[in-house]
Amino acid sequence: MNTGKKCVLYSALSLSLATLTGCVDTAGTTVHTDHVGGVSEVLEDSTRLKRRLGVEVATINYDVVNGMKRAHITLTNKSHKRLQLHYRICWFDENGVELDPGSKTYRMLIMEGRDSVTVTGVANNLNAVRSKLRVREADEAM
Amino acid sequence: MKKLITNITVITLTAVLLSGCASMPTVTETPLDRNPITSKLEPQDVRRTVEKMAESLVSAPGVLEATGGKRPVLDIEPLQNRTMQHVDMVSITDSLRMQLLRSGLFRFVDKSTSGVDIEFMDNQANLGLTDSKKAIRPGQQSAAQMYLTGALTEIKNTVGRTTDQYYKFSMILKDLRSGELVWADEQEIRKQSVKSRVGF
Repeated sequence: MNTGKKCVLYSALSLSLATLTGCVDTAGTTVHTDHVGGVSEVLEDSTRLKRRLGVEVATINYDVVNGMKRAHITLTNKSHKRLQLHYRICWFDENGVELDPGSKTYRMLIMEGRDSVTVTGVANNLNAVRSKLRVREADEAM
Repeated sequence: MKKLITNITVITLTAVLLSGCASMPTVTETPLDRNPITSKLEPQDVRRTVEKMAESLVSAPGVLEATGGKRPVLDIEPLQNRTMQHVDMVSITDSLRMQLLRSGLFRFVDKSTSGVDIEFMDNQANLGLTDSKKAIRPGQQSAAQMYLTGALTEIKNTVGRTTDQYYKFSMILKDLRSGELVWADEQEIRKQSVKSRVGF
Protein backbone atom coordinates (compact mmCIF):
# COMPACT_ATOMS: atom_id res chain seq x y z
CA MET A 1 0.00 0.00 0.00
CA ASN A 2 1.43 3.38 -0.91
CA THR A 3 1.85 6.31 1.51
CA GLY A 4 -1.12 8.24 0.10
CA LYS A 5 -3.57 5.41 0.71
CA LYS A 6 -2.20 4.94 4.23
CA CYS A 7 -2.73 8.63 4.99
CA VAL A 8 -6.35 8.41 3.80
CA LEU A 9 -6.93 5.28 5.88
CA TYR A 10 -5.45 6.80 9.04
CA SER A 11 -7.40 10.02 8.54
CA ALA A 12 -10.63 8.06 8.13
CA LEU A 13 -9.88 6.08 11.28
CA SER A 14 -9.10 9.22 13.29
CA LEU A 15 -12.27 10.95 12.06
CA SER A 16 -14.40 7.91 12.94
CA LEU A 17 -12.92 7.83 16.44
CA ALA A 18 -13.51 11.58 16.89
CA THR A 19 -17.13 11.16 15.80
CA LEU A 20 -17.67 8.24 18.16
CA THR A 21 -16.25 10.16 21.12
CA GLY A 22 -18.95 12.82 21.08
CA CYS A 23 -18.95 15.64 18.54
CA VAL A 24 -22.66 16.46 18.94
CA ASP A 25 -24.26 19.49 17.34
CA THR A 26 -25.96 21.30 20.25
CA ALA A 27 -26.73 24.61 18.59
CA GLY A 28 -30.50 24.08 18.43
CA THR A 29 -33.12 26.60 17.34
CA THR A 30 -33.24 29.99 19.02
CA VAL A 31 -36.13 32.45 19.09
CA HIS A 32 -35.98 36.02 20.42
CA THR A 33 -39.07 37.87 21.62
CA ASP A 34 -38.99 41.52 22.56
CA HIS A 35 -41.81 42.92 24.74
CA VAL A 36 -40.56 46.50 24.38
CA GLY A 37 -39.83 46.69 20.68
CA GLY A 38 -42.51 44.17 19.75
CA VAL A 39 -40.03 42.37 17.53
CA SER A 40 -39.75 38.63 17.37
CA GLU A 41 -37.19 36.81 15.31
CA VAL A 42 -36.30 33.23 14.75
CA LEU A 43 -32.60 32.60 14.74
CA GLU A 44 -31.85 29.27 13.18
CA ASP A 45 -28.51 28.54 14.75
CA SER A 46 -28.78 25.02 13.46
CA THR A 47 -30.61 23.80 10.40
CA ARG A 48 -30.66 20.32 11.90
CA LEU A 49 -33.97 20.78 13.73
CA LYS A 50 -35.63 22.57 10.84
CA ARG A 51 -34.48 20.50 7.90
CA ARG A 52 -33.80 17.04 9.25
CA LEU A 53 -36.42 16.87 12.01
CA GLY A 54 -38.91 19.37 10.57
CA VAL A 55 -39.42 21.51 13.69
CA GLU A 56 -40.42 25.08 12.92
CA VAL A 57 -41.62 28.08 14.87
CA ALA A 58 -45.23 28.76 13.83
CA THR A 59 -46.34 31.72 15.96
CA ILE A 60 -44.95 33.93 18.71
CA ASN A 61 -47.16 35.87 21.13
CA TYR A 62 -46.46 37.70 24.35
CA ASP A 63 -48.46 39.31 27.11
CA VAL A 64 -48.13 40.57 30.67
CA VAL A 65 -49.65 38.85 33.70
CA ASN A 66 -49.37 40.21 37.27
CA GLY A 67 -46.73 42.59 35.88
CA MET A 68 -44.64 39.66 34.64
CA LYS A 69 -43.79 39.18 30.97
CA ARG A 70 -44.99 35.98 29.39
CA ALA A 71 -44.09 34.53 25.99
CA HIS A 72 -46.06 31.90 24.06
CA ILE A 73 -44.24 30.23 21.21
CA THR A 74 -45.93 27.62 19.03
CA LEU A 75 -43.71 24.97 17.49
CA THR A 76 -44.82 22.73 14.65
CA ASN A 77 -43.55 19.26 13.87
CA LYS A 78 -43.69 18.96 10.08
CA SER A 79 -42.52 15.36 10.13
CA HIS A 80 -44.62 12.28 10.81
CA LYS A 81 -42.39 11.10 13.63
CA ARG A 82 -42.70 11.61 17.38
CA LEU A 83 -39.92 13.90 18.55
CA GLN A 84 -38.36 14.19 21.97
CA LEU A 85 -37.07 17.69 22.46
CA HIS A 86 -35.87 19.94 25.23
CA TYR A 87 -36.72 23.61 25.46
CA ARG A 88 -35.73 26.48 27.69
CA ILE A 89 -36.92 30.07 27.86
CA CYS A 90 -34.44 32.55 29.34
CA TRP A 91 -35.12 36.21 30.10
CA PHE A 92 -33.04 39.35 29.65
CA ASP A 93 -33.35 42.92 30.91
CA GLU A 94 -33.30 45.99 28.69
CA ASN A 95 -29.50 46.00 28.67
CA GLY A 96 -29.41 42.45 27.38
CA VAL A 97 -28.20 40.99 30.67
CA GLU A 98 -29.58 37.53 31.41
CA LEU A 99 -31.73 37.47 34.53
CA ASP A 100 -31.18 34.73 37.09
CA PRO A 101 -28.94 32.68 34.80
CA GLY A 102 -28.98 29.05 35.75
CA SER A 103 -32.44 29.12 37.26
CA LYS A 104 -34.12 28.36 33.94
CA THR A 105 -33.76 24.72 33.06
CA TYR A 106 -34.43 22.66 29.95
CA ARG A 107 -37.87 21.06 29.99
CA MET A 108 -39.04 17.98 28.18
CA LEU A 109 -41.23 18.45 25.11
CA ILE A 110 -42.71 15.51 23.25
CA MET A 111 -44.19 16.39 19.86
CA GLU A 112 -46.32 13.90 17.97
CA GLY A 113 -46.05 13.76 14.18
CA ARG A 114 -47.66 16.69 12.34
CA ASP A 115 -48.55 18.30 15.67
CA SER A 116 -48.21 21.82 17.07
CA VAL A 117 -47.32 22.57 20.67
CA THR A 118 -47.27 25.94 22.41
CA VAL A 119 -44.61 26.44 25.03
CA THR A 120 -44.99 29.22 27.57
CA GLY A 121 -42.38 30.98 29.62
CA VAL A 122 -42.99 33.46 32.43
CA ALA A 123 -40.28 35.81 33.61
CA ASN A 124 -39.85 35.57 37.37
CA ASN A 125 -38.42 39.07 37.35
CA LEU A 126 -40.09 42.44 36.85
CA ASN A 127 -37.07 43.75 34.90
CA ALA A 128 -37.38 41.18 32.12
CA VAL A 129 -38.12 42.57 28.67
CA ARG A 130 -36.73 40.04 26.21
CA SER A 131 -36.88 36.30 26.10
CA LYS A 132 -34.98 33.65 24.25
CA LEU A 133 -36.26 30.17 23.49
CA ARG A 134 -33.80 27.42 22.78
CA VAL A 135 -34.88 24.06 21.44
CA ARG A 136 -32.64 21.05 21.15
CA GLU A 137 -32.98 17.33 20.64
CA ALA A 138 -33.26 15.35 23.87
CA ASP A 139 -30.30 13.14 22.95
CA GLU A 140 -28.09 16.20 22.61
CA ALA A 141 -28.12 16.62 26.40
CA MET A 142 -25.42 14.76 28.32
CA MET B 1 0.14 -5.57 4.73
CA LYS B 2 1.41 -6.90 8.09
CA LYS B 3 2.74 -3.45 8.91
CA LEU B 4 -0.67 -1.93 8.14
CA ILE B 5 -2.46 -4.39 10.43
CA THR B 6 0.05 -3.64 13.18
CA ASN B 7 -0.51 0.10 12.76
CA ILE B 8 -4.32 -0.25 12.90
CA THR B 9 -4.03 -2.42 16.02
CA VAL B 10 -1.79 0.15 17.71
CA ILE B 11 -4.22 3.01 16.86
CA THR B 12 -7.21 1.04 18.12
CA LEU B 13 -5.47 0.07 21.36
CA THR B 14 -4.37 3.68 21.94
CA ALA B 15 -7.94 4.88 21.36
CA VAL B 16 -9.31 2.30 23.81
CA LEU B 17 -6.75 3.31 26.43
CA LEU B 18 -7.47 7.03 25.94
CA SER B 19 -11.23 6.53 26.17
CA GLY B 20 -11.17 5.30 29.72
CA CYS B 21 -9.31 2.12 30.58
CA ALA B 22 -7.82 3.78 33.66
CA SER B 23 -7.82 2.72 37.27
CA MET B 24 -8.96 6.15 38.53
CA PRO B 25 -12.59 7.15 37.94
CA THR B 26 -13.08 9.91 35.41
CA VAL B 27 -14.84 12.89 36.97
CA THR B 28 -16.38 15.55 34.79
CA GLU B 29 -18.71 18.45 35.48
CA THR B 30 -22.05 17.90 33.79
CA PRO B 31 -24.85 20.36 32.99
CA LEU B 32 -27.50 20.72 35.70
CA ASP B 33 -30.21 19.74 33.23
CA ARG B 34 -28.61 16.56 31.99
CA ASN B 35 -30.46 13.52 30.66
CA PRO B 36 -31.79 11.08 33.26
CA ILE B 37 -29.51 8.32 34.45
CA THR B 38 -31.90 6.54 36.82
CA SER B 39 -35.65 6.18 37.17
CA LYS B 40 -35.44 7.81 40.60
CA LEU B 41 -36.11 11.47 41.20
CA GLU B 42 -33.10 13.45 39.98
CA PRO B 43 -31.91 17.06 40.37
CA GLN B 44 -33.17 18.08 36.92
CA ASP B 45 -36.67 16.80 37.84
CA VAL B 46 -36.66 18.93 40.96
CA ARG B 47 -35.39 21.99 39.09
CA ARG B 48 -38.04 21.65 36.38
CA THR B 49 -40.73 21.23 39.00
CA VAL B 50 -39.63 24.27 40.98
CA GLU B 51 -39.45 26.39 37.83
CA LYS B 52 -42.84 25.26 36.62
CA MET B 53 -44.50 25.87 40.01
CA ALA B 54 -42.93 29.31 40.37
CA GLU B 55 -44.06 30.34 36.86
CA SER B 56 -47.54 29.01 37.49
CA LEU B 57 -47.83 30.83 40.81
CA VAL B 58 -46.59 34.23 39.61
CA SER B 59 -48.97 34.13 36.64
CA ALA B 60 -52.00 32.91 38.61
CA PRO B 61 -54.71 35.60 38.51
CA GLY B 62 -56.33 34.70 41.83
CA VAL B 63 -53.30 35.27 44.04
CA LEU B 64 -53.07 39.05 43.83
CA GLU B 65 -56.88 39.36 43.66
CA ALA B 66 -57.15 37.62 47.03
CA THR B 67 -54.97 40.28 48.65
CA GLY B 68 -56.42 43.29 46.83
CA GLY B 69 -53.37 43.69 44.61
CA LYS B 70 -50.96 43.94 47.56
CA ARG B 71 -47.95 41.66 47.91
CA PRO B 72 -49.18 38.81 50.09
CA VAL B 73 -47.15 37.47 53.00
CA LEU B 74 -46.58 33.75 52.54
CA ASP B 75 -45.10 30.93 54.54
CA ILE B 76 -44.11 27.52 53.27
CA GLU B 77 -44.95 24.23 54.89
CA PRO B 78 -42.53 21.61 53.52
CA LEU B 79 -44.09 19.20 51.06
CA GLN B 80 -45.07 15.76 52.32
CA ASN B 81 -42.96 12.96 50.92
CA ARG B 82 -45.31 10.06 50.21
CA THR B 83 -42.78 8.10 48.20
CA MET B 84 -40.55 5.19 49.21
CA GLN B 85 -37.34 7.10 48.52
CA HIS B 86 -35.60 9.76 50.54
CA VAL B 87 -36.14 13.21 49.04
CA ASP B 88 -35.13 16.42 50.78
CA MET B 89 -38.50 18.20 50.64
CA VAL B 90 -37.25 21.22 52.62
CA SER B 91 -34.67 21.87 49.91
CA ILE B 92 -37.39 21.83 47.25
CA THR B 93 -39.52 24.35 49.12
CA ASP B 94 -36.42 26.48 49.77
CA SER B 95 -35.74 26.65 46.01
CA LEU B 96 -39.35 27.55 45.31
CA ARG B 97 -39.31 30.27 47.94
CA MET B 98 -36.12 31.72 46.44
CA GLN B 99 -37.67 31.89 42.96
CA LEU B 100 -40.86 33.49 44.30
CA LEU B 101 -38.89 36.05 46.31
CA ARG B 102 -36.93 36.98 43.17
CA SER B 103 -40.20 37.74 41.41
CA GLY B 104 -40.92 40.52 43.93
CA LEU B 105 -44.62 39.60 43.99
CA PHE B 106 -44.59 37.93 47.37
CA ARG B 107 -43.25 38.50 50.86
CA PHE B 108 -42.26 35.59 53.06
CA VAL B 109 -42.08 34.80 56.72
CA ASP B 110 -40.28 31.71 57.94
CA LYS B 111 -41.67 29.99 60.99
CA SER B 112 -38.88 27.43 60.95
CA THR B 113 -36.49 30.13 62.20
CA SER B 114 -38.89 31.57 64.82
CA GLY B 115 -36.93 29.92 67.62
CA VAL B 116 -33.80 31.80 66.55
CA ASP B 117 -35.83 35.05 66.41
CA ILE B 118 -36.96 34.55 70.02
CA GLU B 119 -33.40 33.82 71.09
CA PHE B 120 -32.17 37.06 69.45
CA MET B 121 -34.94 39.11 71.04
CA ASP B 122 -34.31 37.53 74.46
CA ASN B 123 -30.63 38.33 74.18
CA GLN B 124 -31.31 41.92 73.10
CA ALA B 125 -33.76 42.43 75.98
CA ASN B 126 -31.94 40.64 78.76
CA LEU B 127 -28.18 40.54 78.20
CA GLY B 128 -27.75 44.28 78.50
CA LEU B 129 -25.51 44.52 75.44
CA THR B 130 -28.10 46.22 73.19
CA ASP B 131 -29.42 49.76 73.47
CA SER B 132 -32.86 49.15 75.03
CA LYS B 133 -34.47 51.73 72.70
CA LYS B 134 -33.16 49.91 69.64
CA ALA B 135 -33.88 46.37 70.85
CA ILE B 136 -36.46 44.52 68.79
CA ARG B 137 -39.40 43.52 70.91
CA PRO B 138 -41.64 40.53 70.19
CA GLY B 139 -45.09 41.04 68.76
CA GLN B 140 -44.16 43.08 65.68
CA GLN B 141 -43.59 40.43 63.04
CA SER B 142 -45.74 40.16 59.94
CA ALA B 143 -48.38 37.49 59.93
CA ALA B 144 -48.55 34.98 57.09
CA GLN B 145 -51.73 35.52 55.10
CA MET B 146 -51.32 32.40 53.01
CA TYR B 147 -49.22 29.29 53.05
CA LEU B 148 -47.87 26.98 50.41
CA THR B 149 -47.85 23.25 50.89
CA GLY B 150 -48.19 20.08 48.90
CA ALA B 151 -47.11 16.50 48.45
CA LEU B 152 -44.94 14.25 46.34
CA THR B 153 -46.46 10.89 45.43
CA GLU B 154 -45.24 7.99 43.32
CA ILE B 155 -46.54 4.92 41.52
CA LYS B 156 -43.99 2.26 40.68
CA ASN B 157 -44.55 -0.77 38.47
CA THR B 158 -42.04 -3.43 37.51
CA VAL B 159 -42.67 -5.83 34.68
CA GLY B 160 -39.78 -8.16 33.89
CA ARG B 161 -36.70 -6.04 33.40
CA THR B 162 -38.68 -2.81 32.94
CA THR B 163 -39.45 -0.42 35.78
CA ASP B 164 -42.00 2.30 35.24
CA GLN B 165 -41.87 5.11 37.77
CA TYR B 166 -44.40 7.93 38.03
CA TYR B 167 -44.05 10.96 40.29
CA LYS B 168 -46.51 13.72 40.95
CA PHE B 169 -45.79 16.98 42.72
CA SER B 170 -49.01 18.66 43.89
CA MET B 171 -48.93 22.11 45.44
CA ILE B 172 -51.59 24.39 46.87
CA LEU B 173 -51.69 27.95 48.17
CA LYS B 174 -54.22 28.39 50.94
CA ASP B 175 -55.65 31.63 52.29
CA LEU B 176 -55.49 31.44 56.10
CA ARG B 177 -58.36 33.87 56.71
CA SER B 178 -60.91 32.40 54.31
CA GLY B 179 -59.59 28.86 54.21
CA GLU B 180 -59.93 28.94 50.42
CA LEU B 181 -57.44 27.47 48.01
CA VAL B 182 -56.13 30.38 45.99
CA TRP B 183 -53.92 28.36 43.65
CA ALA B 184 -53.14 24.73 42.92
CA ASP B 185 -50.98 23.04 40.34
CA GLU B 186 -49.19 19.78 39.75
CA GLN B 187 -46.20 18.46 37.89
CA GLU B 188 -46.04 14.91 36.63
CA ILE B 189 -42.86 13.01 35.82
CA ARG B 190 -42.74 9.55 34.32
CA LYS B 191 -39.60 7.51 33.82
CA GLN B 192 -38.77 4.09 32.57
CA SER B 193 -35.66 2.04 33.11
CA VAL B 194 -34.77 -1.30 31.55
CA LYS B 195 -32.19 -3.57 33.17
CA SER B 196 -29.64 -5.06 30.84
CA ARG B 197 -29.82 -8.81 30.18
CA VAL B 198 -26.25 -9.30 31.35
CA GLY B 199 -25.03 -7.77 34.56
CA PHE B 200 -25.23 -7.84 38.32
